[in-house]
Amino acid sequence: MAAAARDPLSAAGLDEADEAVRGTCEDASVCKRFAVSVGYWKDPYIQYFVRQAKERKAPEINRGYYARVHGVSYLIKAFLKKTDCNCQIVNLGAGMDTLFWRLKDENLLPRKYFEVDFPMIVARKIHNIKSKPPLSKPIMESHSGDSLLIDSHSLDSSRYSIVGADLRFSSDLEEKLKKHNLDIHLPTLLVAECVLVYMTPQQSANLLKWAASTFPVAMFINYEQVNMTDRFGQIMIENLQRRQCNLAGVEICRSLDSQRERLLLNGWETARAIDMMKVYSFLPQADVKRIEGLEFLDEKELFEQLMQHYCICWASKDSSNLGLASITF
Amino acid sequence: MAEGERAESGGGPGPGRPPSPAELERAEALKTRANEFFKGKDYENAVKYYSSAIELNPTNAIYYGNRSLAYLRTECYGYALADATRAVELDKKYVKGYYRRAASNMALGKFKAALRDYETVVKVRPNDKDAKLKYQECHKIVKQKAFERAIASDEHKRSVVDSLDIESMTIEDEYSGPKLDGGKVTLAFMKELMQWYKEQKKLHRKCAYQILVQVKEVLAKLPTLVETTLKETEKVTVCGDTHGQYYDLLNIFELNGLPSESNPYIFNGDFVDRGSFSVEVILTLFGFKLLYPDHFHLLRGNHETDNMNQIYGFEGEVKAKYTAQMFALFSEVFEWLPLAQCINGKVLIMHGGLFSEDGVTLDDIRKIERNRQPPDSGPMCDLLWSDPQPQNGRSVSKRGVSCQFGPDVTKSFLERNRLDYIIRSHEVKPEGYEVAHDGKCVTVFSAPNYCDQMGNKGSYIHLRGSDLRPDFHQFTAVPHPNVKPMMYANTLLQLGMM
Repeated sequence: MAAAARDPLSAAGLDEADEAVRGTCEDASVCKRFAVSVGYWKDPYIQYFVRQAKERKAPEINRGYYARVHGVSYLIKAFLKKTDCNCQIVNLGAGMDTLFWRLKDENLLPRKYFEVDFPMIVARKIHNIKSKPPLSKPIMESHSGDSLLIDSHSLDSSRYSIVGADLRFSSDLEEKLKKHNLDIHLPTLLVAECVLVYMTPQQSANLLKWAASTFPVAMFINYEQVNMTDRFGQIMIENLQRRQCNLAGVEICRSLDSQRERLLLNGWETARAIDMMKVYSFLPQADVKRIEGLEFLDEKELFEQLMQHYCICWASKDSSNLGLASITF
Repeated sequence: MAEGERAESGGGPGPGRPPSPAELERAEALKTRANEFFKGKDYENAVKYYSSAIELNPTNAIYYGNRSLAYLRTECYGYALADATRAVELDKKYVKGYYRRAASNMALGKFKAALRDYETVVKVRPNDKDAKLKYQECHKIVKQKAFERAIASDEHKRSVVDSLDIESMTIEDEYSGPKLDGGKVTLAFMKELMQWYKEQKKLHRKCAYQILVQVKEVLAKLPTLVETTLKETEKVTVCGDTHGQYYDLLNIFELNGLPSESNPYIFNGDFVDRGSFSVEVILTLFGFKLLYPDHFHLLRGNHETDNMNQIYGFEGEVKAKYTAQMFALFSEVFEWLPLAQCINGKVLIMHGGLFSEDGVTLDDIRKIERNRQPPDSGPMCDLLWSDPQPQNGRSVSKRGVSCQFGPDVTKSFLERNRLDYIIRSHEVKPEGYEVAHDGKCVTVFSAPNYCDQMGNKGSYIHLRGSDLRPDFHQFTAVPHPNVKPMMYANTLLQLGMM
């Protein structure tokens, strides 16, 4: 990994921290799989990426993931519609996300869908894809031309590409994406879910700046913590530290304002941020009623408090005046 | 359940108009295509094509049955259940539909429901070996899961106790933990137990069973409304929800003294679920109940029920630390917990609150046959679930069960029953307690920093026989071991990556 090569002295410590961050990928996917199995939403692909949960997850966790998945998905689809799918999606820190396959099922694929994550995670994902036909078939179906390019840390096809890279080094990232035919002139949507918070403010600022300066027409969706200065935030930070998981960028998660500002300060023209409780209220309420009937929530306070500490932020820059700035819930 | 999600888009036959022969034919073709995809394990496309077939012909049970199976293969158990149910609704004789519904229910852990459908299949197809096998498998699980619940009818419930042989359970030499003294709980045992638990060790299952069997007997003899007198010189401590927060319970005993005949306690429900140490909390409380039956009181909370235990962790915890059979016994014991306590005929204590209807009397409470899971409505449900509200009258509950009741409801209930005020729990409060309804409705909550998330204080109440007004004592959370975040551990440990 690029980072290790640059600084061998702190490689061990750095890698331990990175390993903890990589661990969050499995946690999220297992939780999503559990929620799917109870019926919160459909995802026939996640079972091929991750094991079943050993124990039940709390209803507020399931509802939280439901809101996250549907909130982010809503904005993604709005971008796809605005650009008529004539665009790219770059999923930063994608982990075991299954969005590519689900978009393909809905005939909503962008021109190309890129995923980026730590090489170790990418290697695992590629292995799963190669060994499970329900995952590989859609990629092959959407591929036109010669054989796919697959090696241990990258896979490239016409419509889907996955690349192992360190998001803290944007020139390396750009190089790798361009090798996979990233077209910076296409409207591009970048998505980061619980990713920026694991980098220092400087590193995430660099990444945001890079995205803003590289793509003339683009949108950025960020999902992560917010309102972290209160007791709840402190406890979460402590709990994660005990798992050697460092929220290096938690400073930016102070408030919705700080989340908005960091986007505007790093080259984006417009920015919005709302907490997940708000997002939950904007989701189609018929389906919300359905999922609320799946598991009885004994205590609303826990759920509300949880949701008020996560947010979706989205920013755009739009030199083509496609109207990206009007995308909202 | 998933109807809204899969609402037929324009182009289908529409409500009221039956499909034309051409549409029927097309639907069949789509279904055949879907079957092919299914055979090739392409479940996504199978679902897609079944859905298209359904769009053209929404009353064909087989389409729903087939799609249900495809959903099962893709772990969409909720959708699978909905489709199977629809299939059976459309055609009561469609055996595969029952099969599918049973499989969905099995996957969702609803074994009793699954057993019903397997039973149906076996009846209709007595020579089907596979059906019989599945039925037997399911039956075994149901039995294991909850003996008496699986095969009992309402008239004669069989108890887990009947199938236990505690005497022949042996305690290995290597076990160095607390044991009952001559089969009885003593103060020495309790002290040893609390320390043992503090060190995160497990009580031998024989001792756990002994405690459960004995406490069940004690509780079953109590009336639904426990009436106690507090003499002038006596006092009692009333605690609210503890929710598996064992180290905070120890802290209460540290601050307020261990239970004894001169230091009586009332714990007002919700001892388990959510916290990581529910087993430790409940066995400690049950131990003290056995030690001081007339000076240590436990009332039932909404979390001393099967539905809550299944989702919020207690069942998972008991199964992980012991067995499903032990959980079945816990479930039985919980059913015998009294629902309310009245002190000196003046102060009424219950976990939830007052009633959805006017005119309820203490006698009505006495008469409740409580040894059951609470019904969806009615006085027993209200006692465990309701909440006070600031405005007069009653409203629909924020919880979706029971109601919210105003100061006027409290006032008239107290007057009718010649009471001074009520003490209840059930709601987390930042200060650990709250006084509402002009002093007539007091909330006490004893789980500080609830779920390691809320940052609230806990509190307990001192009541003196000489002056029954509540005297509040607050306390904050103490550290606890970081148990691996299983379902019953705090939500936060799973967060951060959410």
